Amino acid sequence: MNAVWRVARAAVRRRMLQTVVIGVVVWVSAATVVMALGLLASSAAPFDRAHDEQRGAHLAAVFDSSAVDRLAGTSGRAGVEAAAGPYALAGVEAADGGGFGVAGELTAVGRADPAGAVDRVTVWSGRWVGGPGEIVLNLPPGAPVAPGRVVDLAGGGSVTVVGLAFSVSQTADAWVTPEQATAWGSTASQMLYRLVDHATAADISRGEASVSTGLPLLGTQSYLAVKQRFSQEAGVYVPFLTVFGALGLAVAVLSVANLVSGAVVAGYRHIGVLKALGYTPNQVMAVYLVMVTAPAVVGTALGVCTGDLVGGPLVRDAVEGFGVADTGVPWWVDLAVLVGMPALVAVVALLPALRARRQPAAAAISAGSRPGARRAPRVQRALSGTRLPRSVSLGLGVPFARPARSALTAAAVVLGVATVTLAVGVTLSVTAFRDAANPTRANQVDVMAAVPGGTPADGPDDPLSELAPRLGDAQDEAVLRAAPGVLGVVASSQQLVRLVGGNETHVVRFYRGDASAVRPRVWAGAWPARGGEVAVSAKFLTQTGLALGDTTTLEQRGKRVPVRIVGVVLENVTGSVLGTWETLESLLPGSRATAYQVTLDPDADRDAFARAVAAGDPGIRVTPPRGGTSSQAVVIISTATLLTLLLGGIAALGVFNTVVLNTRERRRDLGVLKSVGMTPRQVTSMVVTSMAGLGLVGGLIGLPLGMVVHRVVVHAAAPINSPDLLLSVVPDLLLSVYDAPTLVLLPLAGVGIAVLGALVPARRAARMTIAAALRSE
Amino acid sequence: MHSDIAGGPIGEVVVGLTDVRKEYSDSVALDGVSLEIRAGEAVAVMGPSGSGKSTLLNLVAGLDRPTSGSVAVHGEDLGRLSETGLALFRRRRIGMVFQFFNLLDDLPALDNVALAAQLTGTKAPQARRRALELLDELGVAGRRDTYPAQLSGGERQRVAVARALVNRPALLLADEPTGALDSRSGEQVMDLLLDLNQIGQTLLLVTHDQRLATRCASRVVEVVDGRIARESAVARS
Ligand SMILES: Nc1ncnc2c1ncn2[C@@H]1O[C@H](COP(=O)(O)OP(=O)(O)O)[C@@H](O)[C@H]1O
Ligand SMILES: [Mg+2]
Repeated sequence: MNAVWRVARAAVRRRMLQTVVIGVVVWVSAATVVMALGLLASSAAPFDRAHDEQRGAHLAAVFDSSAVDRLAGTSGRAGVEAAAGPYALAGVEAADGGGFGVAGELTAVGRADPAGAVDRVTVWSGRWVGGPGEIVLNLPPGAPVAPGRVVDLAGGGSVTVVGLAFSVSQTADAWVTPEQATAWGSTASQMLYRLVDHATAADISRGEASVSTGLPLLGTQSYLAVKQRFSQEAGVYVPFLTVFGALGLAVAVLSVANLVSGAVVAGYRHIGVLKALGYTPNQVMAVYLVMVTAPAVVGTALGVCTGDLVGGPLVRDAVEGFGVADTGVPWWVDLAVLVGMPALVAVVALLPALRARRQPAAAAISAGSRPGARRAPRVQRALSGTRLPRSVSLGLGVPFARPARSALTAAAVVLGVATVTLAVGVTLSVTAFRDAANPTRANQVDVMAAVPGGTPADGPDDPLSELAPRLGDAQDEAVLRAAPGVLGVVASSQQLVRLVGGNETHVVRFYRGDASAVRPRVWAGAWPARGGEVAVSAKFLTQTGLALGDTTTLEQRGKRVPVRIVGVVLENVTGSVLGTWETLESLLPGSRATAYQVTLDPDADRDAFARAVAAGDPGIRVTPPRGGTSSQAVVIISTATLLTLLLGGIAALGVFNTVVLNTRERRRDLGVLKSVGMTPRQVTSMVVTSMAGLGLVGGLIGLPLGMVVHRVVVHAAAPINSPDLLLSVVPDLLLSVYDAPTLVLLPLAGVGIAVLGALVPARRAARMTIAAALRSE
Repeated sequence: MHSDIAGGPIGEVVVGLTDVRKEYSDSVALDGVSLEIRAGEAVAVMGPSGSGKSTLLNLVAGLDRPTSGSVAVHGEDLGRLSETGLALFRRRRIGMVFQFFNLLDDLPALDNVALAAQLTGTKAPQARRRALELLDELGVAGRRDTYPAQLSGGERQRVAVARALVNRPALLLADEPTGALDSRSGEQVMDLLLDLNQIGQTLLLVTHDQRLATRCASRVVEVVDGRIARESAVARS
């Protein structure tokens, strides 16, 4: 073993370039894999873990209180594993919008005990409610709120926040004693169920049918929808990172394979000498395994550290609010990569190492390096018949001398270009999505007229806190219509509304009049034409499990209005539910508009408009045009850029390595060419050409590959889970992002990667003195 | 010269080739070669380029296997040995010197020599001591820390000879050892081989240098087109 170690160590040290290239490629790959695996692992697992720990409810059902006496009996119905309740349900709202630190009306559930058969709520600060006038808020651990606060209620009276607790299944916004809920005039009762079968939405529906038969069911909430909501942030990243992780791994494997087999081929004579000296076949194999595995181990260690450092914050972002204490990349990901990556390298190295083991020594020693000698001349002859410059035609012939190495190099370039294509596509799609959902309409301004319902002011500095219209709704609209340069005015009101049976509040925007100029585009169905109809965002459907055509019930201050979903819009900042003014009238009669969207003449003087508005009603405010990019878009675009640079870099390193090997092997040829008068510039151009050709081929294959992957990723990331909506809601807009110039430029990325990788070793080869070149063995 | 270089009493058969044939995919390199070399002999194989001289040497070294026929060295039939067995055989019995030196570029001169000793289980300090002795005797001790790329051809070949001798091989094989050297360096290597043979080292030498053959060898074997065309004893000059 001593002799093996000796030779391998010398090779690692003396072939620094090869060692460093292997180390860096493995480093970057390991970091990419750690990040991707870390995010994948954290995106789904924490919810399931926390849900199991709490014995969370699979189904939370709300019934009319008239049936309260019969509810406990549902625990024995088919498919029910355990049940808890009935608990009286009541709405509670702070006198000032933000009194509870959360917006709007809260659903308070009357529960004497946080434990029980289902939904064992974790009290993480303060204590559970013990009497009237006390309340516990449902907040994830770590929320910046302390118990002790006394909150005045909208209906009179006050409550003291005595504790903070967290329910993973989100069965309530707050808890009070059962007596308190009844005192607040509860008309509904909650039952919580754990179901025997709960894997799919269909299972949950069956459970719902089973427990509600013959009972006045008002609404339900499936844990799958809650889970979806929790995983949603990560949900957009997951397909994206999975693909990038897979690409990273593939590029890494290819590059390592290329590197290692290159090392073996370059070591052809070296292997022969070792064998002549009396190294056994296994010893020779061991030398070559150690040579590549040693830098791979170091690269992996660095990669895991880098992946933890960069990936940790990403993972923390992704699991934020799960109520589980996750501190970053899970330890087993680190462990798996630490063990797996060097193992992978060793496996990849094994094939060429086995070749080294089998290699007949005699041929290796006497032949030195002359493989492919038969193939090159024919191609070379054909090329020299062309009208290309001599150095270019010589260069283009080089890859044919080593077809396997050229193929591996080209494959790395293919994946590099595919990555660039994917990243460009994802960036364009994210941008297109944002523009479609939230178009920047240059000639529109928003005029804020009131604090949108339930939105707490962020303190005295918040510009909204001073909003206090002096005039009524109709007069304000008249002031705007009369202002100079105004073409049209659409009034709207934004409210936080809950769905009966659910606990999440949704931002609902109601439009008055013809909203066609200001509303988001409808991708499926139609825009609501009358009261009782709404359009919703695609994401809303995923969150609630509802579908186009379904009816649900909006609830505000005890008032309920059934609405039918008639259209689907893309996600947008104006709200996830969009309706007409008639619906608002039924829900909150006499509401005034909270904002006006004003369309201006493109030539209008905006200052004059703003002055006229301020003169008409100083209590309403012209807001600057909305702009900026959502933080999620920023994260996706910057991740895409980062990974593109990394994977493009790995591919370029692969080319670099190939050129180093090629020029080393052809050192004597290069010397001969120079001795007959080839200039250094010609040598450089010959070597660079050899790789640029490969790069172009790689680019032409990588482009369509990247486009296909982009299509898959967009479909997977689209905020839709209902297959029949898929085609209509993932519109062409998001998929047809590649225009003609982009399509021409992207294959050139392959040439770019190749030239980048080839330039340095090519120039080194060009500068090598003739004597040194001819002298080398 | 030192006296500890191994060599059996003259007369014992060290190499025995019986009706050896070696085919490559597109050519026949050796065709029915039988040859015997006794301990203490210095045999020079001569012949035109491509006639099969290197092939013959490689078969004796166990670097390659004959298509048919048998090769025995020190009574051991190489055909019966596995690849690993051949490797073990090489490290103990054979020293090889090549036209183009074939030193390991990653190791300095001393380590190139010492490594071969370490392969037979010699501890590193002893291996280095022995390597240094040999380099000293061959006049290249001053270059012990130099890497092969920085050595002249003559120096490289002397390091290669030292490496071949470090395990006191029963048989020293040399394939055109002066072919890549200038005449003065070639002369020195020739003297070296002659000295070695005179103290008993069995030698199998491939060359097409008539002078080298007549000076160093006790017998000349001429190979033409893979067959032994002529064998003649030499009265050394
Ligand atoms: N590894 C090999 N593969 C195919 N043919 C070979 C190989 N080695 C040698 N030959 C062929 O065998 C014949 C003898 O070669 P060799 O023994 O090297 O001759 P010499 O050393 O006398 O110049 C030549 O025709 C040569 O081309
Ligand atoms: Mg030869």
